[in-house]
Amino acid sequence: MSFQGLAEEVKGILRRGVGEPLPEQAFNDLAVRIFRFQCRSNRAYGGFVARRGVSPEQVARWEEVPLLPTRAFKTTALVSGDLKDVAQVFRTSGTTRGLKGRGEHHVVDLALYRESLLPNFKANLLPEEGEKTRVLCLLPSPDAVPDSSLSFMMGEVVRVFGGGGSGFFVGSDGEIDGKGFRSSLGAAERGADPVLVVGTAFAFVRWMEMAEENGWLTCLPEGSRVMETGGYKGRSKELPRADFYGAIEGAFGVPESRIVNEYGMTELLSQFYEPVLAEVQRAKSSGRDLSPMALTERYHRGPPWVRSRVVDPLTLETLTSGEVGVLAHLDLGNLGSVAAVITEDLGREVPGGFQILGRVPGSEPRGCSLAMEDFLASQGVES
Amino acid sequence: MTPLRAWHLPSSFSLLEGEVAVLEGPGVPTLQYPTLSESRLRDLLDVLRRERETTLASLPVSRVVDVVDRVAGRLLDPRDGLRVTALERLGHYSGFSSPMAEAVLDGMARSWMREGLWDLIRSEFSDPTVLDRFRPGPTGDQTRALGFPLTFHLGAGTVPGVATTSLIRGLLVKSSVLLKPGLGDLPLPLVFAQGLEEEDPELARAVAVLYWPPEESGRTETVLKEADLVVAYGSDDTVRWIRERLPPQTPLRAYRHRMGFGLVGRGALGGGVGSTSSDAVGAAVRKKARHVARDAARSVALFDQRGCVSPHVFFVERGGEVEPEDWAGLLAGALQELERVLPSGEFSLEEGVAIQQLRGVAEMEEGLGNGVVHHGGEGAPWTVLFLPGGTVEPSCLNRTVRVLPVDTVEDALSALRVWAPHLQTVGVAGLEDRTADVLESLARLGVSRISSFEGVPWPRTWWHHDGSGPLQDLIRWTDVEGVGFFSPGVDEG
Repeated sequence: MSFQGLAEEVKGILRRGVGEPLPEQAFNDLAVRIFRFQCRSNRAYGGFVARRGVSPEQVARWEEVPLLPTRAFKTTALVSGDLKDVAQVFRTSGTTRGLKGRGEHHVVDLALYRESLLPNFKANLLPEEGEKTRVLCLLPSPDAVPDSSLSFMMGEVVRVFGGGGSGFFVGSDGEIDGKGFRSSLGAAERGADPVLVVGTAFAFVRWMEMAEENGWLTCLPEGSRVMETGGYKGRSKELPRADFYGAIEGAFGVPESRIVNEYGMTELLSQFYEPVLAEVQRAKSSGRDLSPMALTERYHRGPPWVRSRVVDPLTLETLTSGEVGVLAHLDLGNLGSVAAVITEDLGREVPGGFQILGRVPGSEPRGCSLAMEDFLASQGVES
Repeated sequence: MTPLRAWHLPSSFSLLEGEVAVLEGPGVPTLQYPTLSESRLRDLLDVLRRERETTLASLPVSRVVDVVDRVAGRLLDPRDGLRVTALERLGHYSGFSSPMAEAVLDGMARSWMREGLWDLIRSEFSDPTVLDRFRPGPTGDQTRALGFPLTFHLGAGTVPGVATTSLIRGLLVKSSVLLKPGLGDLPLPLVFAQGLEEEDPELARAVAVLYWPPEESGRTETVLKEADLVVAYGSDDTVRWIRERLPPQTPLRAYRHRMGFGLVGRGALGGGVGSTSSDAVGAAVRKKARHVARDAARSVALFDQRGCVSPHVFFVERGGEVEPEDWAGLLAGALQELERVLPSGEFSLEEGVAIQQLRGVAEMEEGLGNGVVHHGGEGAPWTVLFLPGGTVEPSCLNRTVRVLPVDTVEDALSALRVWAPHLQTVGVAGLEDRTADVLESLARLGVSRISSFEGVPWPRTWWHHDGSGPLQDLIRWTDVEGVGFFSPGVDEG
């Protein structure tokens, strides 16, 4: 099967949207065929599979597909197909620890990315909205940072769903355009239509510090929502989540129940969201009222074309629901790179999805031997 | 098992009702620990100071050595309850397998025996009685060495026994000791203090061992303000945190995070002076290379690589009959072998994740022709990466190492330069006629210990820990010039 043929099949699934689950058999069938294609067309991954003693033809279940560690994206261009067909290279933010530097995701077919991100975003952040919404991004624009997958994603969201006044308010140097953001928030505040504010947790913290210094308070129209992502990655003191959301509520007038966390990674073309808004909307459309989910009960859910598992880090066996392990995903959207990856994120399976329990720091928590952070700090490198 | 009581206090200080809390949680053994208020903690520090002033400072160093030796002897005696308790708890708190816990206890306790203690004292004081009273100084004057009155020792909890060694060093210079061990090294100092009390209650009154969780750092800050000297084991971050809280007059002896390395020269690989090739010689060469690999593997495996002495990276010279890649295989074989004798202990989920990532990337790179990886599979965390052109990186512990081939050991020395602030122990083998030059270069880099691989895990008791005298670091000298004083305590000569 060729890349094009498989890409069409994947797009067929993406176009079904996220409303209906993908039957297990359909997912499995395509996952296994994509796996075999990747073994043939991706020398690095094919070698890895062989080294694991797995014969591609004998893999019949998606759970048996060998999981490539996400750090492999740091050492090798993982392209399933021809390197010269790569349309775009996305890079990890560079705040990931380790000497090897940034991970790279070589994307062959950007349409796969677009078509996977849009319906999932719409369902989770704009479920009750009409055509256009004002989207304010505490992020650099895709033009400013063409290798950021998050900026690319929000660029697409703004292009397709963004109403007048939408924009990006962080420079390529990471500095917030305080005045610009303040004035756009003001314009949104004066209007009646709900808006969407999107940013990294780090940028929100920075903005709230600025707003406090300047006495800027905003109360966005009812129905507005916030998407935060990325965590702080060691760049700022980590606030407990309830305090963080409390602060966002104070600064934007958006209640906790309308703040959504997105979990995404450069290495995967698909994203995971807390389905808080999506579930409320679903209940509403069937005539029910849903009380907001407590922060501690929240979980993340992927789109139908991704299956996630929580596995033991060494044996790679799937753990039982509730047990803490490491998150592994199979993303059909990753057709052009590697679909099955094991992350460095700890989590547990819960009904409906999984809960993330934090990113494992790059180095080792114990040992009187040296931690990588210490080394980087001593070299004056921010980890 | 009953919850551990995470304290040992001088007999003249008792806990009041309500001064004990219970610590429990996932991944933490349930234990009880004292919750002394700031003023109660100051009371305890006063008691320790007083005991040092009235008793410990006047005891001869030989008595301290004898008592420590007796306790160490009991810790080595399989019939003694002290050893039984120590072993039972040590495995539980450190996560080490039982054979490892035993090996660690044996190695540590042996270093606390009389002979080793005297080696340590004599290496730093040509006249050990200078620790007891004024003694003639170099030009006929008098001099005396005495530890600071109240010392605060903060353990890291990574290698059981390290905190106890620190406590013993404090007692040898007649300082009172408040020791706060890390959780992973909690049982041994408690058992040791109990042994001290049983063997010499008078001396034991100058010792307190107390645990409190890291987040209750107010107590740590109180003691940092009061102590006369602080000894700390921990990460650079921990050391920084402590330094920021110390009054300017309080000295800090910090044992920061370190990394060990190995250098395997051609001499250990059949490329040495006068090597010829015949089958008999080939077998002998292989045997020697295997022997070095076995010792190297043991140096990695001991403490599950958590020791500051544990090697992370081996530089292996090309051009011998056994090439670096083969030697990496021998090392891997030896690590697998050790799983039977000295099995790996528990490791955290985070460490497991790091190992999985390390192995997976290496397996992929191997397929691309970049290096070779050997590992213990699902059963054991040990992992050996053979990486031509690879760089030095701290390992993810649990017996994970890199083998980097080099044309000559000099290449290794230049790769180590950037790591100079973190260098500590370097294991060496097969350097032959270059030995003197390499040792000199390592010394200039700041390496504080060079050893055969066999010796790597267990430094001599007199080792200049991280480059300075462990006892000299704990004392102050008092010199007397031109004062004709005659004390009954001053001997002739």
